Amino acid sequence: MSSAPAYGRAVLAVLKRDLLIFVSYRARLLGQFLGAAAAVTLFFYVSRLVDTPQFPSPEDYFAFALIGVLFLRALVATLSGVVGMVRQELVAGTFERMVTSPLGPTAGTAAMMLFPFALALFLSVATLAFAAIVFGAPLEWSTVPLALPVAALVALALAPFCLLIAAAVLVLKQATAAVRFFIIAISVVAGFYFPVELLPGWISWASDVQPFTPAIDLLRHLLVDTPLQDPVSGLVLKVAAFTAVLLPLSVLAVSTAIDIGRRRATLIEY
Amino acid sequence: MVKRVLSRFQRSPASEQRSAGKVNAPATPDGSDAGLLLTGVAKKLPGHDQNIIDGVDLALPRGATASITGPNGAGKTTLLRVLAGLVKADRGTVRLNGLDSERDGRAYRATIGFLSAGNTGLFARLSVRRHLEYWSRLALLPPDAGRRRVASMLDEFALHELADRRVDRLSMGQRQRVRAALTFLHEPDLLLLDEPQNSLDAEGTAMLKNALDEAIARGGCALWCSPAGMMEGGVFDHRYLMRAGQLRPR
Repeated sequence: MSSAPAYGRAVLAVLKRDLLIFVSYRARLLGQFLGAAAAVTLFFYVSRLVDTPQFPSPEDYFAFALIGVLFLRALVATLSGVVGMVRQELVAGTFERMVTSPLGPTAGTAAMMLFPFALALFLSVATLAFAAIVFGAPLEWSTVPLALPVAALVALALAPFCLLIAAAVLVLKQATAAVRFFIIAISVVAGFYFPVELLPGWISWASDVQPFTPAIDLLRHLLVDTPLQDPVSGLVLKVAAFTAVLLPLSVLAVSTAIDIGRRRATLIEY
Repeated sequence: MVKRVLSRFQRSPASEQRSAGKVNAPATPDGSDAGLLLTGVAKKLPGHDQNIIDGVDLALPRGATASITGPNGAGKTTLLRVLAGLVKADRGTVRLNGLDSERDGRAYRATIGFLSAGNTGLFARLSVRRHLEYWSRLALLPPDAGRRRVASMLDEFALHELADRRVDRLSMGQRQRVRAALTFLHEPDLLLLDEPQNSLDAEGTAMLKNALDEAIARGGCALWCSPAGMMEGGVFDHRYLMRAGQLRPR
């Protein structure tokens, strides 16, 4: 009964559940796509004003910022999405069913990450296509296919942050403000909209102690051919190393959060 | 009407089988036929001066049902939550057919069915069928068994006509039938029913009791909680009163 395929089917059932709920709101996907398209449009026109040594042409900055826009929206869709989903589960009492299921609350919480990631990937591809078709974003087609496995690695690197936030929601019941701060802080120190070289010395260390800087550098290189200062293999290793360290810790954090909730009898409170 | 339903419960085949000793339960992992065994279970909730559950001992054999009544705040729901694994006891052990609720968490969870009080635990925008399919997956049932059980629950709780309707478009009683179907779907060995008659009409109550009879006939056991005075006329193998966290036979 508890074979690996059974667990796989259970995890896919959580993904299917979230997909069905998402598509039951008919305008939701369109709304999210239009939001991303509006952000791309905004940065296209902002890029017309850019004339700096780092970006010799407006197209260079547009390509740079485009990947930042995609990354930021993916971060919002996953991190904020997870906060919303866990909160919703607690409020609706559906998390209780996860806790009492053979799948278990830790695996169930991890499975809840799948849909936000899948949605973020889908919206990123759609937004990229929009930018290429409407604004002629200079995609590097020879390396674009390589971006897919790298995106999977980046998703794995992002997963621990989602799990940590889920753990925080399970214990504290709220994490929206913290997530907003985190997303904005990461967008600054990982150089979503400007090169991290512009950061003052006192904060520049922050761009080296998280996986988002090498992750976005890699994706920029593969998607729009932005030059890299470090070799690709080095960046991949860096992202993989962060993931290898943070993923088990974040799973442990979720498990601990559930244990705390069970001991305090607050697991199903909201 | 209610009396007729209750009398149906009293004369159920499962009850008769139990009386005749025909329940053929498989052996437990440790060779005993312990069913549910609680030993010294205690829990103190944050903000409470005293234990909400205060050293509860209980032995419920396979094929047996027990009712727990008691005033509001007596600790009935907390006790069921402890048994369901939602709350961790400060002291004591919970064992079901030899499985320890903490040490054998996953295997233990596979053998319990928990129907919480209230009307929560459903996804408003999912259909009845999707709920049942989803739960069959979470319960780690093989696909064939899952399909069979989903069809069986649709039959047993008369949900066929509602199968493709979103649950936020169901009445409260219909939702409670869905919640009950989810509880029984994976054929649990222990049923934890917290005010299960909530919102159910006589027909719904009969369906619930039929499902319970079948579970008991398979060798399962059940705890049925409700406030004092709500269970008059119901027949259980054991009756308990919970007061100030302590469980006493009635």
